[in-house]
Amino acid sequence: MTADNGFDELIHPATRLQIVSLLAAADWADFTFIREQLGLSDSALSKQLSTLEEAGYVTIERPLSERRRRVRARLTPVGRERFTAHVAALQGIIAGA
Amino acid sequence: MTDYLSDAEARVALHDVERARQRVIDQIGMPKWYWWGLAACWIALGVLNDVANAWIVAVATIVFGAVHSAVSQRLLAGRRQTGNVKVRRDVAGRHAPLIVFSCLVGLAGVTIAAALAAYADGAEHPATMASVLVAVIILLGGPRVMAAIRAGASRRDAVR
Repeated sequence: MTADNGFDELIHPATRLQIVSLLAAADWADFTFIREQLGLSDSALSKQLSTLEEAGYVTIERPLSERRRRVRARLTPVGRERFTAHVAALQGIIAGA
Repeated sequence: MTDYLSDAEARVALHDVERARQRVIDQIGMPKWYWWGLAACWIALGVLNDVANAWIVAVATIVFGAVHSAVSQRLLAGRRQTGNVKVRRDVAGRHAPLIVFSCLVGLAGVTIAAALAAYADGAEHPATMASVLVAVIILLGGPRVMAAIRAGASRRDAVR
């Protein structure tokens, strides 16, 4: 999935890139926050988060807070590393153009 | 895939990255109730200074300090304006808590100076007057300080 220059095909599709970019700037984010910020449906976001979780880029937590279940997503160290490399690869493409 | 990713496509992707980061930066701030609560407590302490004895004022000040310390530990860095996201420390800025804390210390100084000036001018309730002045500064200035911290976060590089 990851090219030699750091380009990551799993992160690159627009929706996943936006999700990972949001998570990269946060320690964690609620499912509802991501959904509202990116204008996604529940099912679309669940699908993308599952893909990222299966790849080991994201962890999903379910803390019990204020008597209601919340779902939080957090970028893993591997996910953060791949995201940083992916952005560097994008910058490299522009610099080399 | 990089073989056929054009310069323009890479720019669009980086724009998406930066826009998502900005959405998180927009969450930097303190809840409104914090500023209103702080202003109300500031006035209450000012009123107590004018009407209560020194022991009550001392106890109230210590209680205020303890409660504020407990609350601000979670909030002062501006990373949890809402309970929906926690902004990374390196995005919010490592100096954000220090900036807010310095402002509060400065406001305490302004309160004392204004109260002394009002007292010298013969005001009947100098501490109350000073605390109302500073409460207004808190309500107007607090959100502006957080806006400045957000602007600083926006200027920093997208990827560290």
